Amino acid sequence: MFLIKKNEVLKLAQELEKSYAVYGPVVEKESGQAFLTKVDSVNDIDLNAPIPALPPKSVVFPQIEKILGYKYDRNSKNVDIKMVVVPQAKAIFGLRSCDLAGIQCLDRFFLGQEFVDDVYLLHRKQMFIVTNTCTKPFAQCFCACTDSGPSAKEGYDLNLTDIGDSYLIEVGSDKGKELCEKMGLQKSEAAHAAEKVKVVDKSLDSFEKEAVENKAWISRVMNRITTGFIKPQVWEFIGDQCFECGACSFVCPSCSCFNIEDFNKPDTAVDRMREWDSCSFEGYTRMAGDHNPRKPIEDRRNKRFFCKLSYSQSKKYLRPGCVGCGRCAWVCPGDIGLPNVVTYVRREITEREINE
Amino acid sequence: MSEYKVITVPEVAVIKEIKKEIEDTSTFYLEFENPEVAKNFKIKSGQFIMCTIFGAGEFAVSLPPSPENDRFHISVRAAGKVTKVLHSLQPGDKVGIRGPFGNGFPFDEIKGKNVIYVAGGIGIIPLRSSIVHVLQHRNEFGRVIVLYGARTPQDLMYNYNIDEWRKIEGVEIYTTIDSPAPGWKYEVGFVNTLVEKAKVPVDNSVAFVCGPPIMFNSVIKDLVNRGMREENIISTLERHMKCGIGKCQHCAIGRTLVCTDGPVYTYKQIKTLGEQI
Repeated sequence: MFLIKKNEVLKLAQELEKSYAVYGPVVEKESGQAFLTKVDSVNDIDLNAPIPALPPKSVVFPQIEKILGYKYDRNSKNVDIKMVVVPQAKAIFGLRSCDLAGIQCLDRFFLGQEFVDDVYLLHRKQMFIVTNTCTKPFAQCFCACTDSGPSAKEGYDLNLTDIGDSYLIEVGSDKGKELCEKMGLQKSEAAHAAEKVKVVDKSLDSFEKEAVENKAWISRVMNRITTGFIKPQVWEFIGDQCFECGACSFVCPSCSCFNIEDFNKPDTAVDRMREWDSCSFEGYTRMAGDHNPRKPIEDRRNKRFFCKLSYSQSKKYLRPGCVGCGRCAWVCPGDIGLPNVVTYVRREITEREINE
Repeated sequence: MSEYKVITVPEVAVIKEIKKEIEDTSTFYLEFENPEVAKNFKIKSGQFIMCTIFGAGEFAVSLPPSPENDRFHISVRAAGKVTKVLHSLQPGDKVGIRGPFGNGFPFDEIKGKNVIYVAGGIGIIPLRSSIVHVLQHRNEFGRVIVLYGARTPQDLMYNYNIDEWRKIEGVEIYTTIDSPAPGWKYEVGFVNTLVEKAKVPVDNSVAFVCGPPIMFNSVIKDLVNRGMREENIISTLERHMKCGIGKCQHCAIGRTLVCTDGPVYTYKQIKTLGEQI
């Protein structure tokens, strides 16, 4: 473990800039909203920024991306197929622990199943991640309920924790260690590690007071959702509030459904693009000939909650699919973000009646 | 993470011949451009491929050829945006192929058993591979029964194959159409009535069922009523698919993905999935 002075912490990002395209939380002046973007200057990075509006999945799994390009000449019948290579190495600086958990979910899903997603792998294999411990939860946070915060436990290259006048740097990989040694950073002492434990404990203790918007007692409902022991009326009640906008899927750090489409360009070239998709859309399962095995919205809507909270899905991710960032509750126009759904299900469990 | 197969890039295949089967369905005989790919392309009955129509998109399609000694082909109905473009292609045009994907029908487990195929309309396409494969190994099975129904005589797929199968000894072929038609010398009525007529055995038997949902449900009911066990009824499901490798999630039904866990399921499994067929 190493130490770096508070006013020098961005030197780490400067060092990373030499070999990576650096992404970090930047606060937009007019709105006060934070965005995780590629930074022009590392001095724009604000480590105290609130949770970025969009999750970091846009860095490893862009919203729309070309995965294949081909040219097909109908006259000569020549086909020329080219896989698109993404050569740029990326570093994320100042990632929150919930968002790192989201990236880990994507890793386990895209790389850990029967097939490896080669496009995702191209993005992911040359990445440097610096996480940042949350010393204080934000209003919409519930990472304490989903075991993904306030401090990252694994999966980072370096983890920063604000311990007063300096940042404690925990090393999570050889790459991370090399960087710290190269910069000649000061080694930390046992007292600093103890200080970090205090910071994390204090952060956890302040959830009751600070994280007032969401409460999601996830472990209580996972069993119910897995066994399907929930009344259809509850799903109907939840489905009735869904506007089918798909926003919850787009801002979720662990949602990974995508669509693939071929786009013809003016010349004979065609781009095969993949783009984020959402299971709440009606066309999501519609087949050729207009046969759609899922019809009512409540039938489509509950798929997302099965995906996030059932045991069988959790086995794929080795954790619940929800990472407790609170973004879905933030954007949902119908007030059925995941924390609220958990509340509805819990209420049903205890009261056995959704509308008394 | 070190070893991986590039699965997003399709292999190019040439359309060698197009055979019109029924009104909106044709069979396309394909050949890979690269002989190396053709040599390594091994399929299992019941698997599917992702087929790219250049400039239009990609669709999932089941494989009707037998894994052994059969010409590589696909049979496709012009049902959607991409498949309609496929039907406008001519021999010599090229398509892209990814796959094969999916689990496939059990072949070794059903050896020694009676094998019953029940198909409705173009539901025979995914079953053809298994039928031909079983007929190629006829003496390894008990009774082999094929029950096939369509709306009219013009809606029967693979007429030329069925005529050949009728000649093979020890294969019971029943075909039926919905209502009488001039010149039709076989059965009349829905395909589930054949279950009774053929005296389908239920002990030591496996039934493969594929067809439109309404036919599927009535056949299953009749088979179960006769005493067929639910785990011995096997079907193959169709879903909207984009990737074929378990990533896009479009084919998710409950906890399974049709592309990697399926498309072949037993009725016992289908029943627990909790979605329409």
